[in-house]
Amino acid sequence: MTKTRRRRVAAAGRYAFLTLWAVIVVFPLYWIVSTSFKPSDQWFSWPPVYFPSPPTLDNYRDVWIGATSVAEGGQTALSLQTPFLALRNSLILAFGATALAVLYGSVIAYGVSRYRLLSETRMFQLLMLRMVPPIVIVAPLSLYFSYLGLLDSMFGLGVMYFLTSLPYAVWMTKSFIDEVPREVEQAAEILGASRWRTVFEVVLPLIRSGLVATFMFILILNWSEYLLSLILSKTNIVTLPVELSKFEGSTEGRLFGRQAALSVGITFPLIIIGLFIRKHLARGFSFGMVRR
Amino acid sequence: MTGQSLHRRRVLQGGLGLAALGALPLGGGALAAEEGDTIIAAAKGIGKTELKAIMWSNYFVPMKGPIEEFEKATGIAITGIKDLSTPTIPQAAMAEALTRSPDFDIVHVGSEMIPSLVSAGYLEPLDEYMHKANYKMDAVGDYANLATYGGKTYGIITDGNIFVHQLRKDLFEDADNKKRFEDKFGKPLAYPKNWDDDFQQMKFFHNPEKGIYGSGNLRSRGFGYVWFLMYLYSFGGFPFDPDMKPTVSSDAGKKAIAVYLRDKEVAFPDSPSWGTSQMIPHIAAGDVYSCQYWGGLIKLQENPAKSKTAGKWIYGAVPGGEANGKPLYRAAGMPVVVLTVNKNSPRKAAAAYMACWLGTEKASSQIVTDRVNTFNDAWTRKEMTDPRVLEAYTPGGVKAIQANLQVAAPNIFLTGNQEFVDVLDKNLGQGYLGQLKADEVLKQIDEDFAKVVKRIGTAKLKKDYETYATIMPKATQPS
Amino acid sequence: MAEALAGAATGTAAPGRLDASRSKAVRRFKWMILSPLLLMLLSLLTPVLLLQLYFSFHQWTVYLSSWWNADFVGLDIFQSVFTDPRFGWAVLRSLAFAGGSTIGCFVLGFSLAYLIYRPFRGQALYYALFIVPMLTVPIVIAYTGQMLLDRSGPLNDILSRLTGHDIQVLWLSNPDIALLTVTLLDIWNWTPFSFIIMLAGLSSLPKEPVEAAQILGASSWRIFWEVQLPLLRPVILLALVLRFLDAMGSFPIIWGLLQGGPGTATETLGIYIYITTWQDFNVSLGAAQSYVTMVMMVGIVLLAIRLLRREKRSLDTMYAKPQEAEETA
Repeated sequence: MTKTRRRRVAAAGRYAFLTLWAVIVVFPLYWIVSTSFKPSDQWFSWPPVYFPSPPTLDNYRDVWIGATSVAEGGQTALSLQTPFLALRNSLILAFGATALAVLYGSVIAYGVSRYRLLSETRMFQLLMLRMVPPIVIVAPLSLYFSYLGLLDSMFGLGVMYFLTSLPYAVWMTKSFIDEVPREVEQAAEILGASRWRTVFEVVLPLIRSGLVATFMFILILNWSEYLLSLILSKTNIVTLPVELSKFEGSTEGRLFGRQAALSVGITFPLIIIGLFIRKHLARGFSFGMVRR
Repeated sequence: MTGQSLHRRRVLQGGLGLAALGALPLGGGALAAEEGDTIIAAAKGIGKTELKAIMWSNYFVPMKGPIEEFEKATGIAITGIKDLSTPTIPQAAMAEALTRSPDFDIVHVGSEMIPSLVSAGYLEPLDEYMHKANYKMDAVGDYANLATYGGKTYGIITDGNIFVHQLRKDLFEDADNKKRFEDKFGKPLAYPKNWDDDFQQMKFFHNPEKGIYGSGNLRSRGFGYVWFLMYLYSFGGFPFDPDMKPTVSSDAGKKAIAVYLRDKEVAFPDSPSWGTSQMIPHIAAGDVYSCQYWGGLIKLQENPAKSKTAGKWIYGAVPGGEANGKPLYRAAGMPVVVLTVNKNSPRKAAAAYMACWLGTEKASSQIVTDRVNTFNDAWTRKEMTDPRVLEAYTPGGVKAIQANLQVAAPNIFLTGNQEFVDVLDKNLGQGYLGQLKADEVLKQIDEDFAKVVKRIGTAKLKKDYETYATIMPKATQPS
Repeated sequence: MAEALAGAATGTAAPGRLDASRSKAVRRFKWMILSPLLLMLLSLLTPVLLLQLYFSFHQWTVYLSSWWNADFVGLDIFQSVFTDPRFGWAVLRSLAFAGGSTIGCFVLGFSLAYLIYRPFRGQALYYALFIVPMLTVPIVIAYTGQMLLDRSGPLNDILSRLTGHDIQVLWLSNPDIALLTVTLLDIWNWTPFSFIIMLAGLSSLPKEPVEAAQILGASSWRIFWEVQLPLLRPVILLALVLRFLDAMGSFPIIWGLLQGGPGTATETLGIYIYITTWQDFNVSLGAAQSYVTMVMMVGIVLLAIRLLRREKRSLDTMYAKPQEAEETA
């Protein structure tokens, strides 16, 4: 009796704790969404407005269509710069660099796993490439890039994203490749397949779900990268996180509603993708430290 | 009360009527049309040019109309902008300057960046173009001087940022309050002439329990130093002597820091981290008795659709300090946002004429009266009587702007401005939080300033000093 | 075994020659894989690091000369880094921020993983929700935090309603709290990372030791401390190390929210270096600060590597035996 009761209390406690955290997780996201529907006098009001009243689509219209209201004064409507260029850039850069990094990273990982391409020490040094914060190299980098003509170029920023993603790509994919039995490749080899074909046609398809997880994790990092994009871009390759920081005038303050309307567009696609492949994520994060 | 609001409505209707007529070439008047024509004539030979600018989109949008007009006449247009929030533009501009990049033709930036950008070899002097185009910046008072450096003009003003003092009319004119004030201090409640009057009133009305805070002034990183410099100037102080020795720990400095720090008694407890983003909504919502603020705020808080305090403000001259026994008035005129032209751009002539065009009476009045993107503020002499401006800022607001423009004091107008500002930010911030004592703050500022001066070069900065000293306003008080 | 199979397949060649040509092919294969990476490191990263080194020894005052004309000043710039109390404070703040975030993420992530790893009703929903913060862009978190954490913002409002007291915590304006606030936001952002790693660890724990302990009548608390936790040590260490290193370089949340303020309360290394380089345009000082930071980070990484490697070794030996046994069988 006491035992079942204790168990019940424990279960209730567990639900309470988990639910509390779930609320803490969800509330800020709710706040972004609700702010994006608020008229300007409710962006920052006291007491706080929890439900936009009346909800308005103005922020979305201003940001995504680029029209401003003609309301007072009778002046003509003029269009603002829309974030579609930044969206395009973010899509190309984040997805492109991530895809290439995962592809190349998995080839390296294969080499490491099967041919000891990199010693263990080198592997850890590779991880360091990621761990030295970009802020410490970003100044000479921008100077160097300006001489190479790589400032404000998709290639320049893309290469940086590629390089900084590579360590995670190698480490994560290696943990999956390690789990592929060698016999499979040997069989392919016997059948006369080249090493490259073995990698691309036999090994990588076998670790599909691992690749998906790796891709997703690196995509998160590249999609939200801020500092490199801020400094290496001018007009052509501005990405969404940088675009997001523009809603502030020095003497006028921040346009929270418009910013939220853009935030929704930046954040939710990633959340949706992430939720779709959440099962794969857990496996990818073990870095070969967890055996099953 | 009713008489005044009636008056306001009449002005409003008049303004609307004129705005509707704005499409007709009536707005400008004879001189402006001439002015524009000469610019077009000067720029016509250049041909089709696509310019790129570093500019905040919310500043850019109201310029689109005038830009299209100029494009029709000359083929020159701004076709792309690097859309950055204004606080990040100095960084972007300096980064461009360091690489001598020709990528951008126009940079829209606070004029305090002019010395640094010129020293880094980035800016083109505009006098020659202005001369050819027969264009002159027709600003109120000496305000246009804030866009010059070493005797040359480097920027065309688009946004006349100037501090205006404002206080709550409803509280100020309330008979009961007037009586209480007089009983308490033995003098009538009158518009504050100096910082002590101002503080006395803020303290009198400061009542957080009722949701009224005395002060809406800013004290956070990136903002607070503007107030400090204003106080310093108004006590006759100056951050350096002609030999570029830092002189912040002077008598003037001591008075300034005292005014700066005592604001804490009447400020929001959040003021150490509040910038405009947080303060503006509070001011507009009616939580503040008085403050000095950029004139542009008037447009927002007098707009009943966006503010609860429309019609509830009195605007006027920023309170003064005292130097040599005489009152001295200084209103912060920073940042004076100007269009500058990249020296390294092959399209610099086109860019210069575009800048001149946007600085004409006709274009400017269109830009500063946009009712949606209200970020550019009136600055030309003519605008002060333009019905659209009067309607947006209210007649009282325009009068106050006009008064303060005459005593507009600049940011630290030296090469390395951002470094000097960082020194102020850091030390004033620690002082306001109580981590440094008032005289320690001043001493530390002087020490840190000296280091910056040494590194940038005393000889160079001595030359800059001459400009800095000459662009200080001549008038000691608004006429 | 592989060679034997390969030899059997080709049938003709002598084993020695086959080995030679095979190892040559392998070497070529290795180089083909590695050369793009080496090329990129050599052409992109090396010049940048050299440039950085140049700036650390040459005082470049951007308003006076071009960078290649900067004055050589020896160790002066490094000296000013080491004598700058602001830099010292920034190091301490970074360590506090990263340490706090690491521990916070770990404790929360582990607790959540421990509570969720055995199947129960709603498990999938909780799991899905818990990974969401990691998918949120940090700069968005910063700007949202500005609204949520205002003194009269929703967080204080909700706390006040729940407790019945008027709670007015100055999350952002009190210099004693501000660093904690940004640390909490970072924890919110990155707990999912630790959570997922720990979840992977917990759900792959071998069942036998736990069952054995249960049979021996050990309490679940003791099983946790004395059986599960030791087994998870490598995973825990990994979660801690990766999080710590990432947090040391954290930039967008603090920058977007407070820019290092109020005063200098949240001025961490990343923020201070950014201010030195991109606001003051003191590129040389920024470069020297960066080098010091880099050396510090490399030191931490090397330490981390040693720790991780030891754990990995012990893990490898633990698992190697059964695998070998399988292979021979």
